[in-house]
Parts: sequence; C-alpha cells; structure tokens
Amino acid sequence: MMQMMQLIKGHVFQNPDAGRLAGIKYSLLAMVLLLTACSATTINIEGTFPAPLVQKLPLTVGVYYDEAFSNHSFIEINDNTGDDQYIINSGASQIALFNTMLPAVFEQVIQLDSIESAASMSGIDAVFVPAIEEFQVGLPQKTRLNVYEIWVKYNMRLAQSNGDYIADWVMTAYGKSPEETFQSVDAGVNDAANVALRDLAASFTLGFSNIPEINEWLRSQDVMKE
Amino acid sequence: MGKTIFRDSKMKQPTLFTKSTLPIPAYILPVLLFLCSCTTTEIDEFRQSSTSINNLDETIVILGRRQNNNYETEQSFVGCVADVVSRGENSITVVDEQEFLDAMFPFFEPRTAPMRTGHLEQLMSMDVAAQKLEEFGIEYIVWLDGITERSEQSGSISCTIGPGGGGCFGFGTWQDDSNFEAEIWHLDSQSSVGSISTDANGQSYMPAVVIPIPLIARVEANACNGLGNQLKNFINGT
Repeated sequence: MMQMMQLIKGHVFQNPDAGRLAGIKYSLLAMVLLLTACSATTINIEGTFPAPLVQKLPLTVGVYYDEAFSNHSFIEINDNTGDDQYIINSGASQIALFNTMLPAVFEQVIQLDSIESAASMSGIDAVFVPAIEEFQVGLPQKTRLNVYEIWVKYNMRLAQSNGDYIADWVMTAYGKSPEETFQSVDAGVNDAANVALRDLAASFTLGFSNIPEINEWLRSQDVMKE
Repeated sequence: MGKTIFRDSKMKQPTLFTKSTLPIPAYILPVLLFLCSCTTTEIDEFRQSSTSINNLDETIVILGRRQNNNYETEQSFVGCVADVVSRGENSITVVDEQEFLDAMFPFFEPRTAPMRTGHLEQLMSMDVAAQKLEEFGIEYIVWLDGITERSEQSGSISCTIGPGGGGCFGFGTWQDDSNFEAEIWHLDSQSSVGSISTDANGQSYMPAVVIPIPLIARVEANACNGLGNQLKNFINGT
C-alpha cells in the first residue's frame, strides 16, 4: 500500500487518501482557473472628491438618488467573443461625488427617500434628481490610443417641492488617464472615471446658476440679483 | 515699445550610461558604451519680463496642461520638475500639484483651467479663489505641457524556457523624444513673464545574450533636470 507522508505546519501524519484528495484539489483549481478566464472583470470605481470652492446659494435642496443611479453599472462587451468583458460599478462613487458637491453649492441639502416625500417636508426650496443616460468607456486595447477614457451623459432635473418643473438639462463629463507601464485596466479605468467625476463637479458648480431656467428661477426667489 | 526677448543658453548635455561590469564579450563593450544611452538635451528660454521671488513667504505652483486630446502632461513629470526646483541652491518653495488642484477645485480642472493670462483676471475677481491663492502665497504659476514619445523601435528578442533553464537572445533598440514647454505666469501682474522649452532625445538599446541587458537612455529624467534647473534660475532672475 502506497502511503504518502505529508508535512503540514510542522506535524507529520499519514494520509492514505492523499493522492485522491490531491487529484480533486487540482481538478477544482483547474475549473476555477477556467471559469475565471471566461468571467468578466468587475471594476468598482473608488475615489475621494474635494469640496468645490464656491459661494453657497441660500437654498434648501432635497436630493433623490433613484435605484438606477445609486446602483449604476456599465457592462463593456468583448468585441471578439460578445461576452461581458468588464463590469464597471460607479453608483457608489457617483453618490459620494454628489454628497460632497451639493452641500458646497447649497446652504442645506436633505437626502430624500422618494421624490414625493419632499411635499410633506417644510422648508425645501427645490428637489434635485440626477440620472445617468449614457456611459462609455474607451480602453487603449480597443481605441489604440495610450489613454483610458470615460464619457458620461447625465440628465439633471430640478423641481419645486410640490413637483412643479423648474429645469431639466443635460450635462456631459469626460475623463482620461494615460496608460502606464504595468498598470492594470482596473486602475486605468478608475483614474479616468475619477477625472470624469471631477469634470462633472467642476462644470456643475460653475455652471449651475447660468442655466437659463435656473437663473430665472433663482431671480424669482431673490437668490440672485438682476 | 517692444518687449525685450532674450534667447538664453542652448545647452547640449550628452550623458553616457556607465556600468562597471557587463556580462558580454569584451570587444562589444566599448562599442556598446559608445552607442548606448546617449542623450541630447536642448533648452530654449524666452524672457518677457524680469522676475524675482522672496523665498521666505512666496511660493510657486507647477501644473500640467491636460487639455490636449491625444496626450496629457504626466503628473510624474510635473512632480519631477517640482522636485528639482525645490532642491539645491536657490531653491524655491513649490506647492504640491494635487494639493493645489484639490484646494482650488473647481478652478484648475482640465475644462475650467485658465488658458490665457486674461482669464486670471476673471479668476481673481472671485473672492474665494483670490483668497485661497493668497493663502498659498502663490507668486508664479508654471504651466507644463508636453510628452515623451517613443519611435524608431526595431529588433527583436526571443526568450525560451525549458527544464534545464532558460535564456533570451536578440537585440532591441528604440528612440525616446521628450518635448516639454513651461509657460510662467506672474499672478500679481496677471501676465506671462516667459517660457522655457526643452527637447531631449536619446537612443536606448537592449542586447540579450542569455539575459537581456537594458541600456536605457534617461531622456525624460534629463529633460526634467534641465527644465527644472533652468526654471529655478529663471524665476530667481539669475
């Protein structure tokens, strides 16, 4: 009978089924490797964002993040196989950005559980609802450029607490990050996404009051002077 | 009355990579040492106004331009130039780029950054921005724009590995070309005081006899050192 001696953590013991167990172990390892090779890579966008250096508007704004926004996920397809190649989860960082940006722009920001809940709350001047309409990724392996790129199209809505329309406008954000030696795709996409999110925050904070409908509404609220 | 233009030194700095021992035949060594890693750096300076800085309470910030579609000035290069300027004789206090961008957010992002000195007036008219720049003690803003490109790649190296060991054989070569320009803005006068451009290029070689031997031309490092030292002298007015 063949016996195998195995040394584990300094203890010597006899294991008659070692050969069979090792066979099962290597088969499982091979299966895991095979499955990993075929599955899509998940990239969770992470980053921190500075608070914008702007003068606050004396307004109390309710913000509502719907399910699609807070769990936003984009799937990049492999052109050759048609399978999912990368799953890019940006919802958490989108919310982190807005939760940093909005309190710097408005005097007070209240996060709402639903749009309707604003009507029952007193003191809310407006309700802001961001949404992502389009999300695009440019990978160096596909674009043949030495940069990772992210482009996002947003739809922003601002309404009064009773639901009356104030403004509905489109914003785009773009970010790119140079491809570096030995850099992973995850890191490249993450860097580009962070640049895109900063780009959105920059154009939102500096351009918010200049959107014609909002400008008109701010004047009607005596927030801005003629 | 026209502005005086000084065309400063045009420097050529050939540098040789030296290694005391290389595992290659002796007759190849002198040839390789002659050829390898020779870098030429050329620096041009264009001065529009006189400059000076009080190193006790005045600082500068060096920022990379990131508006170009095809490339963006690498943060590592900006950091390298800042490091050169803030070290050695006549060193100048340089505010960290990322710290400045975060503190001044959103005024120096790729989409919102001032592209011309005329935009500085608009920026300084905003109290929050002007106050923050004053807190940093910024006297000069330096915009760096450029890229290092690789070209003329040729040769091939093949590597094999077997039960008895492995090894590589072949020869590879490429050329690196660094082109950077620094534009210096004076914050108080809201004007451009000059610019410095650097062009460095060099050929790298990688012979492989069993093991690959990288003989790398330090093109970007030389461009960084040349530009950083020239910038330091320019701002100090020396």
